[in-house]
Amino acid sequence: MKKFLQLSVLFSFLTSISFAQVSDYILSVNIGDAKEKSPLTLTADLVTVENISSLYIAYKPFGENEFQKIEMLITGNTAAGTIPSDIVVPPYLDYYIIINLKDGNTQTYPVGVDQGANTLQIAIAGVSDKDKEIIVLSPVDGEILTKENLLISLSFIKASDAVDISKTKIYLNETDLSSQALIAGDLIVISGENIQDQIGYGAGSLTVEVYDKEGNPYHSIGRTFQIVTAEIFAEAESRWKFIGKLRGESRSESITSSSTWYNNISADLNASDDTWRLNGYLYVTSEEKERLQPYNRYSAVIKGSDWLELQVGDTYPRFPNIILDGKRIRGVSGYINLGAFNIQAAYGETERKIEGKIDTLYQQQPSFTSNIIAVDQNKYGAPYAKVQLGTYSRNLFAIRPSFGSGENFQLGFTYLHSIDDKESVELSARPQENAVFGTDIKFALDDQNILFTTQAAVSLFNKDIYSGDLTDAEIDSIFGEDGYYNVDPDQVKTMRDVLGTIITVNQYIGPLNPQELASLAAETALNLNYFNNSFRASYIYRGNDYYSFGQSFLRTDVKGLNFIDRIRMFDNKVFVSLGYESLEDNLQDTKVATTKYQTFSGSISIFPRVDFPNITLGYNRYDYNNGLKLTDTTYQKYVVDDLTNRFLIQLSYDFIAGIRHSSSLSFITQTRDDESYAPVDANYVSGTLTLNSYWYPELSTIFQIIYGSSELKELNRTTNETTTEPFDYVTLSIGARYKMMENKLLLSANLSPSFGDFKRQALELFADYNILANLNLAFQARIFRIPGSSTNSIIGLTTRYTF
Amino acid sequence: MIKPKIILFSAGLILLLGLTFDKEKLSSSDTPIAIVKKVVKDVTYRKATDDVDWEEAKISTQLFAGGEVKTGSKSLAVVLFTDGSGVLRVRENSILNIYGEKKDKNLNKNTVITKGVVGFDVNKQSEEEEFKFTTPTAVASIRGTNGFVGHDDLDSVTTIFVRRGNVGFTTSNGNQGNVNGGFTARINPDGSFFLETSTDNDNNLFRQTNRTQVKKLRMRTNDGVVEIEYLTTPEGNQE
Repeated sequence: MKKFLQLSVLFSFLTSISFAQVSDYILSVNIGDAKEKSPLTLTADLVTVENISSLYIAYKPFGENEFQKIEMLITGNTAAGTIPSDIVVPPYLDYYIIINLKDGNTQTYPVGVDQGANTLQIAIAGVSDKDKEIIVLSPVDGEILTKENLLISLSFIKASDAVDISKTKIYLNETDLSSQALIAGDLIVISGENIQDQIGYGAGSLTVEVYDKEGNPYHSIGRTFQIVTAEIFAEAESRWKFIGKLRGESRSESITSSSTWYNNISADLNASDDTWRLNGYLYVTSEEKERLQPYNRYSAVIKGSDWLELQVGDTYPRFPNIILDGKRIRGVSGYINLGAFNIQAAYGETERKIEGKIDTLYQQQPSFTSNIIAVDQNKYGAPYAKVQLGTYSRNLFAIRPSFGSGENFQLGFTYLHSIDDKESVELSARPQENAVFGTDIKFALDDQNILFTTQAAVSLFNKDIYSGDLTDAEIDSIFGEDGYYNVDPDQVKTMRDVLGTIITVNQYIGPLNPQELASLAAETALNLNYFNNSFRASYIYRGNDYYSFGQSFLRTDVKGLNFIDRIRMFDNKVFVSLGYESLEDNLQDTKVATTKYQTFSGSISIFPRVDFPNITLGYNRYDYNNGLKLTDTTYQKYVVDDLTNRFLIQLSYDFIAGIRHSSSLSFITQTRDDESYAPVDANYVSGTLTLNSYWYPELSTIFQIIYGSSELKELNRTTNETTTEPFDYVTLSIGARYKMMENKLLLSANLSPSFGDFKRQALELFADYNILANLNLAFQARIFRIPGSSTNSIIGLTTRYTF
Repeated sequence: MIKPKIILFSAGLILLLGLTFDKEKLSSSDTPIAIVKKVVKDVTYRKATDDVDWEEAKISTQLFAGGEVKTGSKSLAVVLFTDGSGVLRVRENSILNIYGEKKDKNLNKNTVITKGVVGFDVNKQSEEEEFKFTTPTAVASIRGTNGFVGHDDLDSVTTIFVRRGNVGFTTSNGNQGNVNGGFTARINPDGSFFLETSTDNDNNLFRQTNRTQVKKLRMRTNDGVVEIEYLTTPEGNQE
């Protein structure tokens, strides 16, 4: 039993880990269930939200070069985002968090990723084939049962011949029920009727240990369910299930010399039956300000199985990812999937209008700068003003009809149009407009073991629509034999009339070189899943002038190939992953030279599922080179010659030494060799050791030590002087959680001093009191002392009511 | 009046099934084909159709190849196939036989519905596996879907309702058809059939097949407490 306990705790530990790194804004990141092909939620505990305007998770699967991004939802002093399931594949994900600050600056977590510092990794556990061999017929995960209705039934019909069914051990909440089991061929049955006196009400945890004929552990599986009274069961079985959560928070943040109160309330209401699911969400915060983009969030969702969804309010629709990928839209979105024909659409506001502010008025037009605009002289007493530019209200509309269910075939067409409302604010400049046309196709064969996908889109982008379409007179003066361009003005007028139905046509429209495919973005990929290999080959092309207002983070001016192979061995106990990517830029000859980005990734992950640590070893080599030479005095300043090697090792192990412990160790080293004109060589080393100890059911402790060391070496080639910037620190964390008063009161304390070049002492205190069955009151205090600088604190009170 | 062709087809089918699965009954495997997960009120079973005695079905009752289940008025049985391939919800006044044949690690299942309504929720089947429903007028092959199959023993009409996925079927005269999600097939005794968009009645019946809620009414009398257990409709009304 011990081995299996270790095993199950190990998995649960793997699936919920908290990582802390140096950051002024994020205290730690909690990672949810990191299981293959399951959505993965990351929750960041924020030090303070005072200066944060938005947060994004940047993530990429193994072997890929490009980070994808998703916005995190800020709720009080936490922010959460979910990485889509199709990205969550072994062996690991790289990620970091982008923190956009209200002053316009950006920071990353961990600090310095934009300057080459290490990103973080999340080990992804693979699914075992043995999970399919041993079938738990009953109970199913999350099932609600009465004592009388409980049936434990296991089927070994699909199990290996090596399994000895009679040796199977069955535990319900640590109680050994194996002697009650009735074996009928390949079936094991325990009826709740026979074990009523051995089970109580509440959470039920079923653990099944399976052994082979030699008596060696073969596999372990678990299910969780609830045992309730007949009355509660009848309630739970009613047609409509209602779940609701109300939350209110009030907290004070004292940062340096200023103190700010934040108050927020949220309500999350769900109702569902077999067919329909309704959800309403509301988050109202005192941070909502007219002069900022919205902090409040609200939405209502109605969903009918897989065929219909309608969302109103703040929605995050996902279309083909090169066009619209999870961007927040305040409006409506939804889809109808009929199989043969489907339609998806979204409409709403992506940017809220924010009026600009006048700094200085001018009677005459001063020298040109981007924030000097013409203003209403009658209103302001002067014709020009230097202003803090406002933000136009921006609306976005997207629609995608598609044909085919997607199981074996789907063909889709997407149209996106987004435009700034130039009348929405007075003091701003350069309203913009964007139109994108795309198509995507998917073929799948052999139960999707062969999968071919392609998407392509072209964009039109107008950088300034303030003056509207070109007039006939303007065209006549610019084009023609006597104009700037020797093009027939009538042709230009025809083109304006045609394109003008889609987008404003004037001198600011792009691309200017469509024949060079400057505004084309395309991706094609072939996935093959055979012989325990998951192989993917893909090609991307993104012209330098491709823009979509629905996809703010797409890297443009790049093309190339990517190959990834994930090989599963020994019943998914070993994953070997290999990746190679070769990209290049300068597709439209807009740069001095073409840079080639070559990345090799290799990794081996071992999940022994026995009394031995899980191990992941990884290696990445990033080679960026544009072929220019330092000896070429004309172009030496444009030289790109950058080689980075990164090694990582992650271990996790659960063991019993007097009591149960969970431990993990990670170590990463990265070396960058920069041979550019202004080179910055960098060395990063970081290590984290974490030990969770479970002393009693009520008491657990955590000990963590983080070591980080970086060294940046800058060479001035003119003076031949080298500047070295070392940055070394150690953070210790010691914490405990204690439950008392029959688990109604949870107390938690954590002390984290940091030493070295990063000095900070953090103390976190937390108390959560379960006043009534569904009413909790939580008190949280965080104190940060930065020696010689300041002592900051955050004190908050939260009430939660669930029903 | 049931046509002789139907009687012949049914008899042939049962004979064929008997021959097919007789070997299974005699095989050394003693693994049940299905197990009873839930019972409401009057549910009985017998190990084979030639057994005279019907026994009371309970939670964990094992059903072997050829086993027959019968539900009474206002009754319900939930049956799980032991290969984890799916669940059957046997509605009131239904009679069905369960057959199965194990090949390597796969189990071919056939549920013969003589009368009544059986809701199904079937996982995706591999190419090597079969999941069939047989009625006196049709054989339906399921690959992974949910819905219900009903057979009215008075007019001998078979109804196949598919909520999601696709079900292929062959009628007693050899006609073949497919029912997609949101559609219902009605198969007449002569083997002709028609497909239509599922009606509100079909959808309601499907919802009812998914409901397994039981309510208890306790009444205190001079002679003690009387407990009435009853099955509810989705709307919460007594059935």
